[in-house]
Amino acid sequence: MKQEISAFMDGELFEDESEILLDQIKGSHSARKNWAAYHLIGDVLRQPEHIHCDLSAKIRNLMQDEPVLFAPRGRAIREKTRAFAMSAAASLAAIGVVSWMSLQIGPESAPRMAMQLNSIRPAKAEILPKSNDYLMAHQEFSPSTDMSGGAYYIRTVSYRTDDVQPRNNLRNK
Amino acid sequence: MTDRDVDQQLVERVQRGDKHAFDLLVSKYQRRLSRLISRFVRDSAEAEDVTQEAFIKAYRALASFRGESAFYTWLYRIGINTAKNHLLSNKRRAPSSTVFDADEAESFEDAGLLREVNTPENELMSKQVVGVVQASLQQLPEDLRSALTLREIEGLSYEEIASVMNCPVGTVRSRIFRAREAVAENLRPLLETSKGKRW
Repeated sequence: MKQEISAFMDGELFEDESEILLDQIKGSHSARKNWAAYHLIGDVLRQPEHIHCDLSAKIRNLMQDEPVLFAPRGRAIREKTRAFAMSAAASLAAIGVVSWMSLQIGPESAPRMAMQLNSIRPAKAEILPKSNDYLMAHQEFSPSTDMSGGAYYIRTVSYRTDDVQPRNNLRNK
Repeated sequence: MTDRDVDQQLVERVQRGDKHAFDLLVSKYQRRLSRLISRFVRDSAEAEDVTQEAFIKAYRALASFRGESAFYTWLYRIGINTAKNHLLSNKRRAPSSTVFDADEAESFEDAGLLREVNTPENELMSKQVVGVVQASLQQLPEDLRSALTLREIEGLSYEEIASVMNCPVGTVRSRIFRAREAVAENLRPLLETSKGKRW
């Protein structure tokens, strides 16, 4: 723990690490003495001519009569505010991007796109009647279908209306 | 984390009801605050009382401390006001020729004045503490002494020290700790023997 105390007083621990350390220091008299000794060393090195007697014991005695403080956590509130501001800014940015994109496909560009669509015509492919059966049989392997994954389980049925005669007619015959 | 962040973390713990965290702030700042107050209140016993009073006032006001300024700046303001009020209540005047702020208080070097206000007993003890620390520092291996000096006197971060000493940050952390611990080891008998007195 001593090494963590040394790092913490230099501001070289992460916040979560220092919270754990402070919990440990809270219950350890020797840890508080180490903290005090390390700070005394620092003060002596910086200004050796200004070393006074230790007042912490006296102040600790006076503090016994003082009530325990319970105040709102300033930083927690600030962090929540900052997090809210960041998420609001991100939302606004997203709305802005979507709006800008929708404006790009606005009334001006819509007719142009419609014209382009009109100019596109489906290609006429002459399919021989023979190949129909073949295509039907192999439809599940076609890359164009959106249901290629499920095509295996789908049974396709096709018929031509002119070939099929109503059963009633057959019976009559 | 900066030094200010460390203080803020301790302050927030005090605000959540952890009195021990305030004890850590007292250990850290008592000498600096005492030094500042000694410029107003010449008598050492009175200066001690005023320093204690300033810390208690700071504790009572800590609930309203929001961290807009650094903790030590805020504490020093309380110290100056407490010292001035003390002088006013005793119908004495605060030194009017000097305007104090926290930075100035940090850099002031009127050692003669402090020797004047210190009692002989305090002064002897202070000299012993300073002697032990300096002798211990001289006995340290060069790499430990350099790391501690760069941190405490030059105020460099671990990363900067690593760059200066051309070693990893983890090594700097270890060297600074070992240096502190070696000095503290020599200091402890002195602090323990005078436990019932003033240290």
